[in-house]
Amino acid sequence: MTVAATNTPKSQSELGIILKGVCKDPLGLMGLIIVGTIVISALLATWIVPYDPIAMNIKDRMQGPSFAHLLGTDQLGRDTFSRVIMGGRVALKVALPAIFGAMAIGLTLGMIAGYGPKWLDNLLMLFFDTIRSFPTVMFALAVVALVGPSLQTVVIVVMATSIPTYGRVARTQTLTLRNSEFILAERSMGAKMSRILGVHMLPNIIGVLAVLAAMDIPGVIALEAGLSFLGLGVKPPTPSWGALLKDGYALIRQTPWLVIAGGLPIILATLGFTFLGESLRDVVDPKLRKNR
Amino acid sequence: MKLEYAKITMNRRSVLRGASALGVAAALPATFGSQAYAADGNTLRVRSYGDMSTMDPAHSVGVVDEEIHGSVYNKLIQYKPGKEWGWQMDAATMIEQVDPTHIKFALRDDIGFTNGFGSMSAEDVKFSYERIIDDATASPNKPDMGSLSHVEVTGEREGTIVLNAPFAPLWSIALPYITGNIVSKAAVEAAGGRIGTDPVAESGPYLRSNWAPKSKTTLTRNPDWKGDAPAWDNIEILPIDDENTAEIGFEAGEIDFTRVSLGSVERYRAGVPNGGTLIENPSLYYLWVGMNLDHPKLQNKKLRQAIQYAIDVPSILEAAYFGAVEASTGIIAPGLAGNRAKGLIAPEADFAKAAQLLEESGETNVSLTLDVINKTTFTTTAQIIQATLASIGIALEINVLESGAFWESGSNENLQLILNRYSMTPDPYYATSWFTSEQAGIWNWEKFRNDEFDQIHKAAAEETDVAKRAVMYERAQDLMEESGAYRFITHEASPVVHSAGVIPALRPDGLGLYRYFGKT
Repeated sequence: MTVAATNTPKSQSELGIILKGVCKDPLGLMGLIIVGTIVISALLATWIVPYDPIAMNIKDRMQGPSFAHLLGTDQLGRDTFSRVIMGGRVALKVALPAIFGAMAIGLTLGMIAGYGPKWLDNLLMLFFDTIRSFPTVMFALAVVALVGPSLQTVVIVVMATSIPTYGRVARTQTLTLRNSEFILAERSMGAKMSRILGVHMLPNIIGVLAVLAAMDIPGVIALEAGLSFLGLGVKPPTPSWGALLKDGYALIRQTPWLVIAGGLPIILATLGFTFLGESLRDVVDPKLRKNR
Repeated sequence: MKLEYAKITMNRRSVLRGASALGVAAALPATFGSQAYAADGNTLRVRSYGDMSTMDPAHSVGVVDEEIHGSVYNKLIQYKPGKEWGWQMDAATMIEQVDPTHIKFALRDDIGFTNGFGSMSAEDVKFSYERIIDDATASPNKPDMGSLSHVEVTGEREGTIVLNAPFAPLWSIALPYITGNIVSKAAVEAAGGRIGTDPVAESGPYLRSNWAPKSKTTLTRNPDWKGDAPAWDNIEILPIDDENTAEIGFEAGEIDFTRVSLGSVERYRAGVPNGGTLIENPSLYYLWVGMNLDHPKLQNKKLRQAIQYAIDVPSILEAAYFGAVEASTGIIAPGLAGNRAKGLIAPEADFAKAAQLLEESGETNVSLTLDVINKTTFTTTAQIIQATLASIGIALEINVLESGAFWESGSNENLQLILNRYSMTPDPYYATSWFTSEQAGIWNWEKFRNDEFDQIHKAAAEETDVAKRAVMYERAQDLMEESGAYRFITHEASPVVHSAGVIPALRPDGLGLYRYFGKT
């Protein structure tokens, strides 16, 4: 990656350029629309849902789509559309704190590793490699079995297993930047380490990590859905896409709508965030931008 | 001719596009191009919920092994197919209880073991039964043999089973089920005392000719079998865990006999594909909500009773079991001695009484946990219980556990409410044995301790008068319910379907006795 020669933080106009670049790319635009729809519906879920997503009405259970229930009802007569919308909120409640938490911690540790003394670098690398040696899903299952399933557990597990990814990228970027002329100039003028890292290096690293985060979000949504599919995600009766999929799978011969209602948002969210991430990468990465 | 090649660019973006297209294609109806293959006319294809684990009856893990063992080994007596529990002669030509602790038997003279291990003798019966209770064998099925002392051999094919104390379940569990299978003494000793996944010698109407792990077990007709000839040349047992998958297999003509999900019963009642038949059988399983009597939050009996009255069983049966099962009155299923016509508490919730009991308990702001296994049926049940308890002001948090963690819960001191389901054999002794004081913290997760219950459990196992036993077991279940630690829900059901060419031979609980399956 070409290193920016200035320490100017990204301006409003630069964000506009990025947005414009994403919108020019058909897949990027599609990703933006999907992600935007998911985020907005999650934020406004309380006002959008036509029914209380946990209110049971057993007499109306397992109905197909109708004007009264756009995506039908589940085995407890709950409105599936309302549960899908609220499930989106759960997915983002897991994905966003987990990814941004991991990014914040990974970034800090990675920059310290890259800029600090060699022994600290080695220590942090050992820490990252140790965490990375745990397969995420197995690690998640072990933690859930140990402390019990909950939204917080899933967030913590995802955060813990994602830290090394961001840490390693941040370290590499820091190592690349640390001998740049503008950093050397700052050091020669007696700038403190915190200023060099926070004011000069951070703006040059954050963009790369943001792209990485956008592309990691679908993985986290899928992990939450996977744990919920195994019945080990969020606790009932909290709606979750994975739980919908799990119930739908068990009842697929009786009503296929639950599987569709649970599966479609996972597919859309995965595609949306991936398209957006890919497009962001193309726009942010000058090398790729030049080749387009 | 000049050929021009277009350069194909392969990058993440094109892979994504391709994957999206594949996803859409995969979502199209799978019926295009699908083809059903009819079952071979001489081969019966049945579905089992799991794969076999051993050919050794002493180490059998239950139904999945017994489905095979029951066809390749013989027992003195076998379960009789039908709607009522009973037994019929198998390897025995005579069997008689001469007094409460002695059972005389005589063997048929036409049963032989394969691989040159000779004809079946009373020594084989003695060896087979005594190795089950021998600690050196470490058989998990030892409790099924109850008070067996030893077998006296009185002739080449005659002997006497000797018990330390009367043991009524001998006739309903020990002899006709897993532990009753007779193996060849000479063959097992030649194999070093243990049978693995391959049989060392068989004697039944079928031989286990092939086992493809996780795929198929094949039984073929035993050419040396002198008894009534089985109807099918081959039986293929296919391990399919998921009932939905098994139903698809059945409807495609790939399977002739399978248990079906309760959710499909209504559909099959309207008509079974390919001219098949649905048979609805009661099940012996029992599902209940238990309350840990040792937990500080559950010391108040009025609170426990409030919970009992607030759980609405019909709602559970409708939503989680599709209305295809009946409410239970206890742990002993209909058809067995000791089944209660009705419980002390009606299946329907009585919210007024529950609220009154809660008020009398003096407990306020009650919040409890309910541990359940991560199956949709149980999580659905738990959510109904959560909703009904909320209506009287009890907050319930549902802890969903995977099966490994769930089955370790016996020793969990923090356990409060549990949604539990145990399997059962056709004798009430088997049900009460898990709720005695000595089982507290092992299988008795409610830590229910009652001296009268313990005495009944012991005495009823020795009681040979069926009517007296029934009264004893009814009282035992009254005691469980009176403790406030149990809310009984259902025994579930065991619906099965079979194809048009099959005449099934089933136990009253719907399990197949494959050696007796007929053909139209």
